[in-house]
Amino acid sequence: MSKESRMRATVNQKLTEMGERERLKELLRAKLTECGWKDQMKAHCKEVIKEKGLDHVTVEDLVVEITPKGRALVPDSVKKELLHRIRAFLAQHAT
Amino acid sequence: MKMEEVSMSSLDNSKLEGLAQDILSDLVEDACLGLCFEVHRAVKQGYFFLDDTDQESMRDFEIVDQPGLDVFGQVYNQWKNKECVCPNCSRSIAASRFAPHLEKCLGMGRNSSRIANRRIVTGNNTNNKSESDQEDNDDVNDNDWSYGAEKKAKKRKSDKNPNSPRRSKSFKHKNSMMGPRRRMDNQESPRMLMKDEAFPQ
Repeated sequence: MSKESRMRATVNQKLTEMGERERLKELLRAKLTECGWKDQMKAHCKEVIKEKGLDHVTVEDLVVEITPKGRALVPDSVKKELLHRIRAFLAQHAT
Repeated sequence: MKMEEVSMSSLDNSKLEGLAQDILSDLVEDACLGLCFEVHRAVKQGYFFLDDTDQESMRDFEIVDQPGLDVFGQVYNQWKNKECVCPNCSRSIAASRFAPHLEKCLGMGRNSSRIANRRIVTGNNTNNKSESDQEDNDDVNDNDWSYGAEKKAKKRKSDKNPNSPRRSKSFKHKNSMMGPRRRMDNQESPRMLMKDEAFPQ
């Protein structure tokens, strides 16, 4: 199993060093904004804030409320596209 | 070694797939957290609710989605069939032809100077009196509607489109100069004289 974890560590390192991780992050952000995910989540945030009160809401509150919903609401097309790119990277650099 | 590789490859694929999913998961979480921080800062700095106003105003300015209207609710092809009266020649021109007509009518814009130059050349070549006072005769200036000039242009340059803004070839070759230039003022720059021209006094 340590071989696997070593491989993972190497891949992750390569991902960061080659700038691919940043590019993937930007791509994901752009796609999520494009498809309206960001607006959806912002609307949800508004509800949370109104609930907790504008002055008392903390980062933790938001994280706890937003993250699970955010993960679930990512459209499949966006996931597919990113997986495609990640797999391509792995095929090139993980073997 | 080889056998190990072969048995590893199928394991590798599922592991790679798992790894890809994990990487995606990390990226999505990163995006979510980024959003949380952004929102939290906006809340604390006080600019999160800036684009909200009262319900009534928001309803007033809602995006319109009806056929024949743009997003503001205005009719956008209203001026297609309208006609405008030209302030210069007082003729009624179709709206879509109005801007080019004005350009020629007022004698401003790139094309009108080229046409004027071309007319000067053809006017010089034939020394025709009817062409000479062009400034008063607006009809001659207007390429859309001037049978006199078009006939002459068509006769002499039958192979060219008389309405095109290109200069006549003879013009270019004689002087080998590029770009539009007003030729009415002869004193400005030295140039080769044409066959029939006398030296200006």
